Amino acid sequence: MIDMNSVIAIALNTFRETVRDRVLYAFLIFAVILTFAGIVLGTLSVGQSVRVLEDIGLFTISTIGGVIAIFVGTNLVFKELDKRTIYLIFTKPIRRWQFILGKFLGLSLCILIITALMGGFLMVLTLANGAPASSMSNLLAAVGSVYLELLLVIALATFFSTFATPLMSVIFTIGLWICGHLGQSLMSLGSMSESGAVKVLFAVIYYALPDLGKLTELRFELITPPAAGAWSPGAVVGHFGVETLLLLTTYVLGYVVLLLSLGTLIIERREFN
Amino acid sequence: MTDQVIVTENLVKIHYSHFLRRPSRALQGVSFSIARGEAFGLLGPNGAGKTTTQKLLLGLLKPTEGTVCVLGHPAGDPRALDKVGFLPENPYFYSYLTAHEFLDFFGRLFNLSAAQRKERANELLKMVSLSDAGSKPIRKFSKGMLQRLGIAQALMNDPDVLFLDEPNTGLDPIGRRDIRNIIKGLKQQGKTIFLNSHLLPDVNELCDRIMILHRGRCAAEARVQDIATSGNYRDLEEYFMDAVARAEQEYNEQQATAAAATPAKV
Repeated sequence: MIDMNSVIAIALNTFRETVRDRVLYAFLIFAVILTFAGIVLGTLSVGQSVRVLEDIGLFTISTIGGVIAIFVGTNLVFKELDKRTIYLIFTKPIRRWQFILGKFLGLSLCILIITALMGGFLMVLTLANGAPASSMSNLLAAVGSVYLELLLVIALATFFSTFATPLMSVIFTIGLWICGHLGQSLMSLGSMSESGAVKVLFAVIYYALPDLGKLTELRFELITPPAAGAWSPGAVVGHFGVETLLLLTTYVLGYVVLLLSLGTLIIERREFN
Repeated sequence: MTDQVIVTENLVKIHYSHFLRRPSRALQGVSFSIARGEAFGLLGPNGAGKTTTQKLLLGLLKPTEGTVCVLGHPAGDPRALDKVGFLPENPYFYSYLTAHEFLDFFGRLFNLSAAQRKERANELLKMVSLSDAGSKPIRKFSKGMLQRLGIAQALMNDPDVLFLDEPNTGLDPIGRRDIRNIIKGLKQQGKTIFLNSHLLPDVNELCDRIMILHRGRCAAEARVQDIATSGNYRDLEEYFMDAVARAEQEYNEQQATAAAATPAKV
């Protein structure tokens, strides 16, 4: 039987550490940015204020969540190595994968809470700006897709923190996060080349990196109101069917599992001098 | 047959530098065994290989050659670690936790129930005289308090074997006495103790047997009582100095022989 007690212990400890580092205060920054944007945009974009607010809100959730995921995530394992608390952990009867998974889950829980707080605030603000209550399920799904993306960012940061310094991990994580959004462009760029080798190279890069463009596309669909008629709660996803949603979720979670497995392999082989 | 809880055979550890992969031998064929209930002191000058040996026993490092067995399992095996307690040198703890939370965390890693964790934490905090500081954040702890908390975390699972790395370093005389008394109490409870220390008076008082490492090799091994009763040495310090001096002389002679055998570069 898989022992999850140690995973939960590590996750709770990581969660405590992150929360006590006052990371949740980032919510206040979000609230200030969004309230200010709501006031300004309400006067500027006649008839489109809700849509603009949702756009800015989702972008801000993604950015603030991403910044926390990157800067906390890249320190997750490194700090334990640097402060040598890892000696205390790995001399207890736990497996290395339990440590990596626990670290990932602890930060994921923290990011979940902060994303939920920011998403809730965004919903309240859009409702106050006249958005129909029935559109909230779409907005909730859009916030969910942001969280899904953040899980991947946390996994990237956790993976890099098993072998690189925080600075290098930040650079690698941000680099791959951005590249993930440029996947389709890389593919198009490759197809424009006349060289077969270049085409193959771009195709390899495209398939090796997670394609996050689809998540952005999904969010766009979710917050774009139907051309006519009322919002339809539940059947929300434009041309995205439930199957596509499940596929996207599995796709992202697959990358998460892969990155955590690679991180475990690295930490398994590592010696603690 | 004596119940051996720690057995190492021909332990070799070679460290490699990061870029050029230059080898440096930290341990060169060290073998020893420790019986259940024995207090074993590992001594040696800085860089002799004491910490490397301890890390190999705990599975934090892997041996280049040789075998390490703890409680009948390979070092680092969770079945062995389940019965092991460890206090590292100059431990850094999670400063954002309180002492109670810290012990509770380690109790969870040993799969103790909530009730067991609470009971054990209270018991241990009392034992190390930190009952009043249980709710205090660790960042406000003094060096002595940290060391006592370190001992408490090492005992959370009521271990059979305790590894203590320089438990008295940086403590004032009162702190040293307190820690010494705690270790004495654990010894009386029948726990096997592996003590890594520079403080010879403490080792003399606490250990049944010692081993002196010098440049990764065993320079001497003796029962503490025998050193005292042999009449050859005034105390452990004199025995230690003599063993290290002999080992250094032997090493220098070997180096000279090796240099003479190597053709000179033109």
